Amino acid sequence: MNKNFPSKVGIPRAISYYNNYPFYYGFFKSLGIEVVLSDKTTTKIINEGSKYVVSDTCLPIKVYVGHVVNLLDKGCEYIFVPSIQSTGYKINNCSKIRGLPEIIRNVIDREFVMIEPTLDKTENIGLYDFCEQIANVFDIRDKKIIRAAMKEGFKIYNNFFKMAKSGLSYNDALKNAIEDNIVNQPLDIVKPLSVVIMGHGYNLFDERISLNIIKKLEKMDVKVYTSLNVSREDSLNAIDNIGEIQYWANELELTGTAAYYLNNHKVDGIIALSAFGCGPDSLMVDEMAYHCKENEMPLIHLTIDEHTGEAGFITRLEAFVDMLMRKKRAKMSVKPKSTETSKNDVVVGEEKVLISVAK
Amino acid sequence: MKTAEKFEKTKMENKIPAKDRVIAWPRMGRIDIPLKALLVSLGAKVVIPPANSKEVLELGVRNSIEGICLPYKLNLANYMMALDRGANTLMMFQAPGSCRLGNYTKMAQKTLKSMGYDFDMVIFDMYKSKMKQTLQAFWHVTRCINPWKYYKGFSLGFNKFFAIDTAERLLFYTRPRELNKGDAEKCYEKWLKITDETNSIWQAKRLKKKIIEDFKKIPIDKDKDVPVIYLIGEFFVLLDPYTNQNIEKELGEMGVEVQRQIMFGDWLEHVLKPSIFYRKESHRERSVRYADSYMKRAIGGECIETIGDTVYAAKHGIDGIIHISPFSCMPEIVAQNILPKVSREEDIPVMSLVLDEQTGKAGYITRIEAFVDLINRRRRLKIKNSKHK
Repeated sequence: MNKNFPSKVGIPRAISYYNNYPFYYGFFKSLGIEVVLSDKTTTKIINEGSKYVVSDTCLPIKVYVGHVVNLLDKGCEYIFVPSIQSTGYKINNCSKIRGLPEIIRNVIDREFVMIEPTLDKTENIGLYDFCEQIANVFDIRDKKIIRAAMKEGFKIYNNFFKMAKSGLSYNDALKNAIEDNIVNQPLDIVKPLSVVIMGHGYNLFDERISLNIIKKLEKMDVKVYTSLNVSREDSLNAIDNIGEIQYWANELELTGTAAYYLNNHKVDGIIALSAFGCGPDSLMVDEMAYHCKENEMPLIHLTIDEHTGEAGFITRLEAFVDMLMRKKRAKMSVKPKSTETSKNDVVVGEEKVLISVAK
Repeated sequence: MKTAEKFEKTKMENKIPAKDRVIAWPRMGRIDIPLKALLVSLGAKVVIPPANSKEVLELGVRNSIEGICLPYKLNLANYMMALDRGANTLMMFQAPGSCRLGNYTKMAQKTLKSMGYDFDMVIFDMYKSKMKQTLQAFWHVTRCINPWKYYKGFSLGFNKFFAIDTAERLLFYTRPRELNKGDAEKCYEKWLKITDETNSIWQAKRLKKKIIEDFKKIPIDKDKDVPVIYLIGEFFVLLDPYTNQNIEKELGEMGVEVQRQIMFGDWLEHVLKPSIFYRKESHRERSVRYADSYMKRAIGGECIETIGDTVYAAKHGIDGIIHISPFSCMPEIVAQNILPKVSREEDIPVMSLVLDEQTGKAGYITRIEAFVDLINRRRRLKIKNSKHK
């Protein structure tokens, strides 16, 4: 590697970090570049980010800007700001994520170099081109090296997802994947209630933004499923099954995950977690609410912004969990026996007759 | 692949036979005049819902979700009113930029069906398919196979679009300069009516010329010092006078010449014409060129046009920019973040106005007045400085 080029790159701990960091880590490591991460999200980082952007901008973007500033304060000169435009033909991301480099370039008035690769499958800019754009910044032009680095990236990425899918928490899975360990599947603990949280990775796994919702639910003895527990194929099929079409790039995390659990009846309720003013979420959560109503599945929509108070948040969660518990108890108390099920069938039959007569 | 096929199928529903079709589409500015001419000459029946107003918006707000943007609420209300008035085929235009707009029809379809309406939805997807797909969609709606009718319809439609655009441009120019208040407005209304009634190609082709001649007759003060403001922002809000609270008129009456960069006719020509025939640099290409140092990629919606136009305006001596967008519009929020830097570096005043159903007119006017004052002051200062030199 040329000595004039940097050996360090800063990755903000926000937005695409939560979905793709294992890949980025393996890729950069294989190219011989050190990765510097920003600190975990704190209120200070959010406030710092809010200073730079207009007030209408959503919370995750404010957090992202805060993290970039944090990296700059740490002395990072090269900052990795990817623009993930679309992940499939006409499957686009939200405009703000697509325009991340544009926002960062224009709001932060400091000296730094931005590594801004584009991934746009609608325009035929695939993952290899994305990686090549990154490597070219470091003057690496050998295709073999880039391919090898991609392979390394995928190795860690796949390990991470495999461990996360088996039930490891996000942080543990990430830690083990990066240390190149593969941890065996822990025992599946049976809990009285289980819910699925539909939300973007950058909202859900950021402990400050999500106000640690996963831990809070686990404390209430609720098993939590997230998008990490569902494979890509499953969530694509689930979207198909409920009769929807994937329109957003992150629809798999939301509609896909929720629909998967809605279809297999593994959960007692759905929690939708979204940032205030989020465009895609406004549609996807509404879509899911429509299907939940049809299938009699409870759904709660929690909206977060930088002013969300923890107390009110917990109250709403507790109320929801209580409601689920009551519902489940009511269901359990009338245990259907084998004879009763046949009785039920008769009743349904009678009802049908009645309806047809009424018509 | 499976989902893609399914999607194509839902784009053009075909339950109602062609001869029973009564067609309706959402209102946006004066789009109804040319489209009506086109469809009627293809032999279709049309229903035009009432113009956007407070009642229409209320109906839309009542039936749509909270977080969706303003244009959807109006579109949904337009559909409902049209269906109540006997329409059974709904059309929707989807532009190449992709934001929430691409999801509108899917949602509207679901909402309207759950309300018990029965209809066909036909989607004009203008993403890179353009002329061929548009013709196909029109064929799907009308089942008209007579090429002469297509020729007549399209030339009527296009000429009417251009006539309306010309009338609007002249209106913007004349309004701040007119000697008798209200002349330009009257003339504009008159020509809108004539344009609507015109029914032959020969007359439609002469419309533009006649409009120019007629506007020239209005007495104006040619030497009046008039500041020029560019109006930029989101497509729907710019083109719909109810949604933007008739900002063009307000500015005109304050003695400001408005230049709107997005004109429906221009945009349509650029979208529909095959690129071989389109010799001029299109608005988007120009925007991409000018926005280069601020934005390196298009991110959907009209974000890059907004930035490109601002830079263009600053380089061509325009006095100020008013940027309007609906609340929580994703591409325009990115634009809002970038605009302060553009304003600083190119030295041009920019004001962003965010509109939603709660926007109060008084506060809105106050902000515009303050901005116009600022521009006038800057202009006076500039003239003073140039005299000193």
